[in-house]
Amino acid sequence: MKKLFLLVAALSFFVVGSANANQMNTGCGVGTIIFKDTKDQSTLIQVVAMTVNGTFMNTFGVTTGTSECKQPSKAVRNERLNEFVHANLDELARDISAGKGETLSTVAELMGVPAGDRDAFNSKLQANFQQIFPTPGVEYAHVVDTIVSVSNQG
Amino acid sequence: MRRRGARPFFFLPLLLLLFLLPLPSPAQPGTDGYLAELKESAARRGLEGDRYWDILLFYKPAAEGRKSLVDDPNFFLAPGGKRDPGAELAATLDAIFDNSLSPPARCRFPARYEWLKETLPIDPARLPAPECPELDNTLRSINPKSASLIFASGHMNAPASMFGHTFLRLDSAYESPLLSYAVNYAATINPKDGGIAYAFKGIFGYYPGYYSILPYYVKVREYAAMDQRDLWEYRTNLTEAEVRRMTLHILEMQGIYADYYFLDENCSYDLLFLLEAARPTVTLTDRHKGFFVAPIETLRSVLAEGLIDNVVFRPSAARKIRHKAEEAGEAEVALAKSLASGDATPSDVVEGPLTATGKIRVLDLASDFTNYLFLKREIPKDAYQERYLRILAARSTVAGPPPESRPLPVPAPPESGHLVSRASLAGGARDGHPFLEIAYRPAYHSLEDPAEGFNDGSQIVFSEAAVRWYPRDEKVRLQRLDLIDIVSLSPRDAFFRPVSWKVQTGFATRDFPGGVESLVYALNPGGGFAWKVPPLGIVSILAETDLAISGRYDRSFAFGMGGSAGIARQVSDRWGLLAQARYIYGVLGDREQGRRFTASLKVPFRLSRNRSLVLDGEHAEGPSVHVGTIRLTWNAHF
Repeated sequence: MKKLFLLVAALSFFVVGSANANQMNTGCGVGTIIFKDTKDQSTLIQVVAMTVNGTFMNTFGVTTGTSECKQPSKAVRNERLNEFVHANLDELARDISAGKGETLSTVAELMGVPAGDRDAFNSKLQANFQQIFPTPGVEYAHVVDTIVSVSNQG
Repeated sequence: MRRRGARPFFFLPLLLLLFLLPLPSPAQPGTDGYLAELKESAARRGLEGDRYWDILLFYKPAAEGRKSLVDDPNFFLAPGGKRDPGAELAATLDAIFDNSLSPPARCRFPARYEWLKETLPIDPARLPAPECPELDNTLRSINPKSASLIFASGHMNAPASMFGHTFLRLDSAYESPLLSYAVNYAATINPKDGGIAYAFKGIFGYYPGYYSILPYYVKVREYAAMDQRDLWEYRTNLTEAEVRRMTLHILEMQGIYADYYFLDENCSYDLLFLLEAARPTVTLTDRHKGFFVAPIETLRSVLAEGLIDNVVFRPSAARKIRHKAEEAGEAEVALAKSLASGDATPSDVVEGPLTATGKIRVLDLASDFTNYLFLKREIPKDAYQERYLRILAARSTVAGPPPESRPLPVPAPPESGHLVSRASLAGGARDGHPFLEIAYRPAYHSLEDPAEGFNDGSQIVFSEAAVRWYPRDEKVRLQRLDLIDIVSLSPRDAFFRPVSWKVQTGFATRDFPGGVESLVYALNPGGGFAWKVPPLGIVSILAETDLAISGRYDRSFAFGMGGSAGIARQVSDRWGLLAQARYIYGVLGDREQGRRFTASLKVPFRLSRNRSLVLDGEHAEGPSVHVGTIRLTWNAHF
């Protein structure tokens, strides 16, 4: 009964979430950029912020930057591509594994792959997924370099 | 925050003032003559009363003259610029000729400059010609060609966010919308504030609102992946020149704040100024004069002005996962879940007996769900990296395109929903005594309202008042005054385990022994679970507490605990069904009168988008209380 009382009281005042003790995400691989713009807030604060469409910071960010990470080899001087891959690594991995998707076609567009060659480009990357994403901690620079070299192979 | 009607002649005295005041000394010798000439021309043509100047400076009619909605002193070049459009115009011209400013005025306020240059016109050859490298770089990166208005639907478990949210998207020459930029207006809140301070500050303008620019993929991740909100992308027919003008205006709003008011000067309302800056012939901001501006209403204004060509639906990650799960069936869903939890390994699936299509379905679901768990911080980063990439590596070995499946059903777009204010007329009988009732509420949606365009199982009602008249004793009484009545029923399924909850507070009529009805102040929160049970609809069970305050209670209050069970079902496009049983056991205060059982049944019938009928019956049982009520209500949304 006491437990039920506590449960009801807790739910009543809708403390739906609480602070989460997960570590801050730092680094440059898969799963690192996701929480860059959302500081470690409790769920309640986040719900509250969402409710009134509030934010915790106001950004005028036309470029997201990649400077904190290892850069791709000098051959890849496409800053827009680098930024995009850096910021969308998780989604890109998913698309390459499936051989299709919006993130993958965005990369193809940034690399200037002609529309007629996109299917071949997609299949090539899919076939070389494990070369592009060899380890859990793989960094975006390796991903960009490998995509470029794989797509240039005959 | 009322904006009053325009007063066309109010600026005459200002105009006179302009001629009488000594002009500030310009910093650039040699341009005095030209500057004075331009100022004279601007004053003669009454440019400070021009609609475009109003739009760029956010001027709206005020009690006296006009006043800008922007509160940041850095936005105004004249000391009294907030309330003096003429002085601000003169100061802007001064600044354009002022070589000593850093950054130069034409780089800092490019939309003002461009407009003045074209309208007066200004001969650029006779101006100081500063370089604006930062502005040029930003413009080059954004490369604006067209624009979209994005509507983010409400969060599935936060009915207060059910109002939705709007932001703009500047589309470039790129084909992929992920390379576009999102322009958002939002309050910058202080995370140290608690819930109540937060609500107070949000409503009464104590937080500064800023525009921001971010890559669209950041917003897609924030809304569609992290918050599980669908995005509706409305492509506008703004021309490249119009979008460029709007972009210049957005850039001059960088770092400038206006006090943010959740109810009217909010995220959606302030975006309308940007669209007016793009195409000043449309009327958007002046369509919203009420005390509450809902994002959906601003979207309707933009649609009504003919600014939208077509709409693209971008489903949330949760909606995609649910759809894929429906396609996969139970066994495959179970397998996908054990991959995401790490209990099974991807190689088991690849080497297993499933067909290639089945393997693809399982692995796709598993990777989506693993990503979702990580976003919700339910698995740590190292486990996520390892698991996610192993599932994807397995997926990449099952070649061929994903299975052709039923396309994801697109829900009714938000603008197809009913309008948000509601007036009701009802007739009925309580314990055999007939009554008439009228009710009104300014916003927003209740479970018995037509569901199209709204989230299933979500209700949010603000300040609904109902007045009842009994012909028998010729008495009119306030029946109900709901301050807030929110219900969020979020069905649980194989992947998602949300909590359902409700909170209702306000004045309510309760029954007392002897057939007495009395107004009490009540606070009734609850929490629990809901499921979709196919023939029944959404079935919910909530634990509840109930606090009622009234002089009629022993010790003036009754506090009880208990629960409710309910069914909410959309029978067809027109018919619905809502059934509920609720029992509260008195715990503190007047424990006797705190005990209550109620059972109710509501049958809504949709007549049209904004008209509906609701037949409802309720039976209440308490100590010496047995009351039955039946009622037929006609609802009109407007």
